[in-house]
Amino acid sequence: MILFNDLSQTVLIILSIGLFISTLEYLKKVQIFSPSGLLSWNVMQLKWTKQDQKSFLKPFFKLFSAPGLAGLFIIRCLLIVGLLFYPLQSTTGWILISLLGASLLLASLVTYYGSDGSDQMSMLIIITLILCNLPVLASGKLRDIGLWFIGLQACLSYAVAGIAKLVSSEWRSGTAIKDVFSTKTYGSKKASLLLQKYPAANRFLCWNVIIMESLFPLCLFLPWEFALIFLIWGFTFHFFTALIMGLNSFFWAFMATYPAIYFINHQMPWHLF
Amino acid sequence: MGRAQKVLSFLLTHSKIMMPKLNPTVIYEFVVTVFLACWFLATILCQFKETKVSWFIRYKIDFFSLIPLWTFFAPHPGKRDYHLLFRDKITDGNYSEWQEMEITEERTIWSWLWNPEKRDKKILSDVVQSLVSSIPSYREKTGSLNLLMFSTPYIIVLHAISQYKKQSQNCFRQFMLAESSGYQKETTPSLILLSVFHQI
Repeated sequence: MILFNDLSQTVLIILSIGLFISTLEYLKKVQIFSPSGLLSWNVMQLKWTKQDQKSFLKPFFKLFSAPGLAGLFIIRCLLIVGLLFYPLQSTTGWILISLLGASLLLASLVTYYGSDGSDQMSMLIIITLILCNLPVLASGKLRDIGLWFIGLQACLSYAVAGIAKLVSSEWRSGTAIKDVFSTKTYGSKKASLLLQKYPAANRFLCWNVIIMESLFPLCLFLPWEFALIFLIWGFTFHFFTALIMGLNSFFWAFMATYPAIYFINHQMPWHLF
Repeated sequence: MGRAQKVLSFLLTHSKIMMPKLNPTVIYEFVVTVFLACWFLATILCQFKETKVSWFIRYKIDFFSLIPLWTFFAPHPGKRDYHLLFRDKITDGNYSEWQEMEITEERTIWSWLWNPEKRDKKILSDVVQSLVSSIPSYREKTGSLNLLMFSTPYIIVLHAISQYKKQSQNCFRQFMLAESSGYQKETTPSLILLSVFHQI
C-alpha cells in the first residue's frame, strides 16, 4: 500500500509520471536506435574504445538494437506501473526501483547524445532512492539524508543556472530569451513575435530568470510561507518552458525534487527571519 | 593501575556511550552518506570552467553521465537551428540536389505534455555542438580537419546520411552542416561544415 505522506514516495510518484512519458516518447522514436538511425549502436559503440569497456559492454550488444531497446522501454513502463502498487520501502518496491535504475543506466550508454538535464536529474533521484531505501540496511536517517541530497542538488542546479546566466552578456542585456524563442528547436513563432514587439518584456523575463534562479537556494532558509514563493515561481517557470519550449520532461524531473526541498526547509534548525 | 591504563579504560568505557555501535546499518549509512557527499562535491567541481579535476571526473570516472552540468542555456544560449543536408555525386561535376534530413519538426499544441520529436533535435544539436567545439583543437593539432573524419560525431552524421536512398550502387555522398536563425528570417543561413565526398 502506497503512503502519500511519505516524502520519498511522493518524490518517486512525481518522477514516475515524467519517466513514464519520457519512456513512451523513446518508444515512439525507437527507430533512432535502428542500424539506420542517429543513435545506431554500430556507431555509438565507437565511443567505448578501451578493451575493458568493450568487454563490459559485449553482453549488452543485442540489447542496444532497436528491438532490444524497445523491449527495455516496455519493461521500464511496466516497472513504473508496478511501483504504483508497491511502496518504495517494501522489498518488492525496492527491487522494482532497482530494475528501473538499471534500465536507466543501461540506456544512458547508448543515449550519450540527446539526453538532457532532466534525464540526469531523474537518474540522480532514482539512484539516491535505491541507495537510501535498501531493505533491512537503510535507516530512517539515511532516507532523510537522501532527501537532503536531492533537495541540495535541485538548489545547486538552479543556482548554477542563474550564475551562468548572470555572467552572460546575452542574458544581462535581455536578448537571450528572444533569441532562444526564435529557434525552431526550442522556440515558438508566437512567443518570438511577441518578444520582438515588446523588448521590455524580454528584458524583464531574462532578469526574472537570472534573479530567481540565482536566489533559489534561499528557499531552504526562508520561513515556509516565503520559501513557497520560489517553489511557485519554479512551477510556473517549468510549466512555461514545457509549453513554449517543449521541455516537458524537465517539469516532472524538477517538480519531483520539491518535496525534498519542503523537507529540508522544515528540518532547518533556523530561518533567515 | 598506571595512568595510561586508566585513560585507556576510561576511553573504552565511554566510547561505548559516545559512538554508535558499528552494526551493518551504521556502516551502510556511513558508506552511502560519503558516496552522496562525494557525488555532490563532484557536481560542484564540474560546473563552469573545465579544470584538470573536472576533466578527469567527467571523462575518466563518469561512465554513465551521472555528473550533471546545470548551466542550462548559459552562458551562450542556443540561438540557431541546425540543418543537415546531403547530395550525391552522379558524375564528375554533376551532383544531385541538396536534400535535407528532416529533423526540426514544428511542435504541436500537445508538446508541453508529449514531445517525442525533441530527441532527434537534441541528438543533432549535441552532435553538431560536439563537432563544432572540436574543430579548433583539430586545426591546432594537425593544421587541417582531416582527422575530424575519425571523430564519433562526424561518423554519426555520416552514418545517418548514408542510410538514405542512393542514386547509384557505387555512390559518393557529401554532407553539409548549416545553421539558421529559425523564425528570424532576416538572418541568412550559414555553413558550418562541408564534408568531402564519401563512398557509401
